[in-house]
Amino acid sequence: MIVSYFGMLRDIAGKKEEDWKQPAATIGELLHEVVAEYGPEFGRWVLDKEELLDLAIVLVNGRDVRGLQRLGTPLQPTDNVTLFPPVAGG
Amino acid sequence: MAKMLMIHADKCTGCRNCELACSMSHEGAFRLQATSVHVYTWEREGFSVPMMCQNCHDAPCVKVCTPHAMTRDAVTGLVNLDHAKCIGCKMCVQACPFGNAVWDELTTKIVKCDTCGGDPQCAKFCPSHALEWVEDTVATRDRKRAFAAKFKDAFSE
Amino acid sequence: MNGWIGRILRIDLTTGKMSTEPLDAGLAKDYIGARGLGTKLLFDEVDPKVDALSPENKLIFAPGPFTGTYAPSGGRYNVVTKGPLTGAIAAANSGGTWGPALKYAGYDAVIFEGKAPKPVYVWIKDRNVEIRDASHLWGKTVPETSDGVRAETDQDAHVACIGPAGENQVLFACIMNDLHRAAGRSGVGAVMGSKNLKAVAVIGTGAVTCADRERFEQAVMKVRTIIQQHPIGGTGLRLYGTDVLTNVLNQIGAHPTKNFHDGYYPTADKIGGESLTAKVLQRPKGCFACIISCGRVSKVSNPKFKGEGEGPEYETAWGFGSSCLIDDLDAVTKANYICNEYGMDTITMGSTVACAMELYDIGAITKEDTGGIALEWGNAEAMVEMTRLTGIGEGFGKKLALGSYRLGELYGHPEFSMTVKKQEIPAYDPRAIQGIGLNYATVNCGAAHVRGYTIQPEVLGVPAKVDKDTIEGKPELVIKYQNLTAALDAAGACLFTTFGIGAEELAELLSAVTGVEYSTDDFMKCGDRIWNLERLWNLRAGLSAKDDMLPERLLKLPIKTGPSKGSVNRLPEMLPIYYERRGWDASGVPTDARLRELGLA
Repeated sequence: MIVSYFGMLRDIAGKKEEDWKQPAATIGELLHEVVAEYGPEFGRWVLDKEELLDLAIVLVNGRDVRGLQRLGTPLQPTDNVTLFPPVAGG
Repeated sequence: MAKMLMIHADKCTGCRNCELACSMSHEGAFRLQATSVHVYTWEREGFSVPMMCQNCHDAPCVKVCTPHAMTRDAVTGLVNLDHAKCIGCKMCVQACPFGNAVWDELTTKIVKCDTCGGDPQCAKFCPSHALEWVEDTVATRDRKRAFAAKFKDAFSE
Repeated sequence: MNGWIGRILRIDLTTGKMSTEPLDAGLAKDYIGARGLGTKLLFDEVDPKVDALSPENKLIFAPGPFTGTYAPSGGRYNVVTKGPLTGAIAAANSGGTWGPALKYAGYDAVIFEGKAPKPVYVWIKDRNVEIRDASHLWGKTVPETSDGVRAETDQDAHVACIGPAGENQVLFACIMNDLHRAAGRSGVGAVMGSKNLKAVAVIGTGAVTCADRERFEQAVMKVRTIIQQHPIGGTGLRLYGTDVLTNVLNQIGAHPTKNFHDGYYPTADKIGGESLTAKVLQRPKGCFACIISCGRVSKVSNPKFKGEGEGPEYETAWGFGSSCLIDDLDAVTKANYICNEYGMDTITMGSTVACAMELYDIGAITKEDTGGIALEWGNAEAMVEMTRLTGIGEGFGKKLALGSYRLGELYGHPEFSMTVKKQEIPAYDPRAIQGIGLNYATVNCGAAHVRGYTIQPEVLGVPAKVDKDTIEGKPELVIKYQNLTAALDAAGACLFTTFGIGAEELAELLSAVTGVEYSTDDFMKCGDRIWNLERLWNLRAGLSAKDDMLPERLLKLPIKTGPSKGSVNRLPEMLPIYYERRGWDASGVPTDARLRELGLA
């Protein structure tokens, strides 16, 4: 599973993307693993306590999980997950 | 302990919120001609610097003020202007090496930062922390530390 | 008056006559200011059928009641006129510090009429207004002009001016103020050039007052807190600028690529906000009273594209980048600087170059036309050179100066022009985002995103996420955004305050500063009124429902790759509902009942 980082998540993770080896059946599971890896400084931009942060943009194969099952969105090992912190406009 | 308005020009975005807050709190309207803080922007380089009275320890404006309208408070470290005593001679405007005392034609008064009585509105309204109301010793240390960090980065592997 | 000044300045450039008149309180109440006031003045005074580049057109500069106060990020002004690119109403919005200067000088608007017999600039210092010779400034770039005018007037003067592009009437020439801020679209700069007006310099020593100081201060503090705590308004925009959107749009497959052939560009990251921050950003910049600081002070050291200034914004990075299959950030940034220096709209410029690349690709234009330049997809040097040639009015630049629609027509392929009402569509692919497509089709000044920025709900999830691919509810959504934005523009506020606040907070700020009570509904109704007035003017100018369209490519050619592969825009299904919800008839004409309700009949 390729996980890509954008915005300040790149600076916090120290990378643009990585091949995520730990198994994760849902977006929620994946996010918890990623936040465990990179800490609360990362976590505050994607999670709001145990919920998905409303303004974060989390994509599975380019599809916004807020239109799917949010944290419950199921994952396949070959999926691409994209993480954006709340961002901009113009 | 004395406090000072620390200017971090590298953080200034040129937004003028400081001038607006100064004008509103002193005059109740937005008239940026006669604020105590003024921002200078160099558009090509995109660099802005807010300027206001530095409350000099050895203030030239205090020295030249014959009616003693300009005085220094030893406790707060601030240079205060008593408008009741001011005769409008503008010697302070002449004397200040930084140009931080100005004459306002409309009100016929000298305009000089009074730190809003110890709660400077400019610092409060600044959205990028370019103006900070801090203990004067802390202020100096922070900038030194910030530059020391650049040495660290330059030498780090 | 409070918030407003209560005075309009009128300058007849033909005769040199200058006069002032009061701002009618009823008019101010109904139209608020800026875009609204400008539209009303244009509606009352200018025959919609005039030639936009003739002396009969008028050029109106108008800030709003917020402008000059500390309403957060509320320092904007509008330029309203008939747009030469579109033949429709044009209302270009700009930030910087020029708008507040005009308020402090004592005016809610300045109306330029006629045409000066030779190049002039206008110098406004409070109530003292002079028309001065600008022959020695004609031909100079925006920075040179600003320096030159300031040297003759006041070193602190705020200058709005045109560059050579406006003088040469490039159809998408813009008006620049404070060197880097643009009243960008529809060719307002060409109108200024057609009047032989080179610059307007302003110094204001007066005041803008507020009606209820305590109420205003409270409203301001509340709004500041909301916006500063909002991750986008408070942090994201300052760190990465608007260009952070490159990756957002690209990752959902809605980033128009290769002149809208596709919606995904594999190397878009190289011209995105993260790369901008890492490579060319010097520091953030804020407009007057701004608390968001989305401005990018930037510098390119690469000798090939060396320069400094501000930008690029998302639209610019896209227009010169993905749209042309270019992923060179230095080149894109350089093209942006050229546009700022010569005074040209970056969206139209970039999209016109992309259109030219497509024409070149099929051999409709050749090296003979381009003066030997290989205008191939992805050729960054060619893109920068074409931009420069357009700015200086030489070679193939003279053709590009027409904009993509007339360029496409000239070479037999108008279908390569991605425009609505002859104005280039911005950087959000409507095949992947239904609502923004409906917005593009119906915005009165031609394709534009900021007039009804449904990207907020459809992509970003502000205030809540809405499915971008559904058409259900989109007409209502688009109308709501269009009305809100019209009122917001009229107040002098920045669109980005909507990352945090809405009509309710804006109405409260407006009520507190002006002393005129606006409920949330009143505020939205003003926006609705302004929208309908723009529409009426356009209809009289000869536009109709057939101009509420999208190019064939976006209705018929599905996106090729990426997450939104396979989609097209379903405008024909949404448009009739849009007309109905607007209270217009099936031909998109406002009904009498609707107009009466808005006080327009």
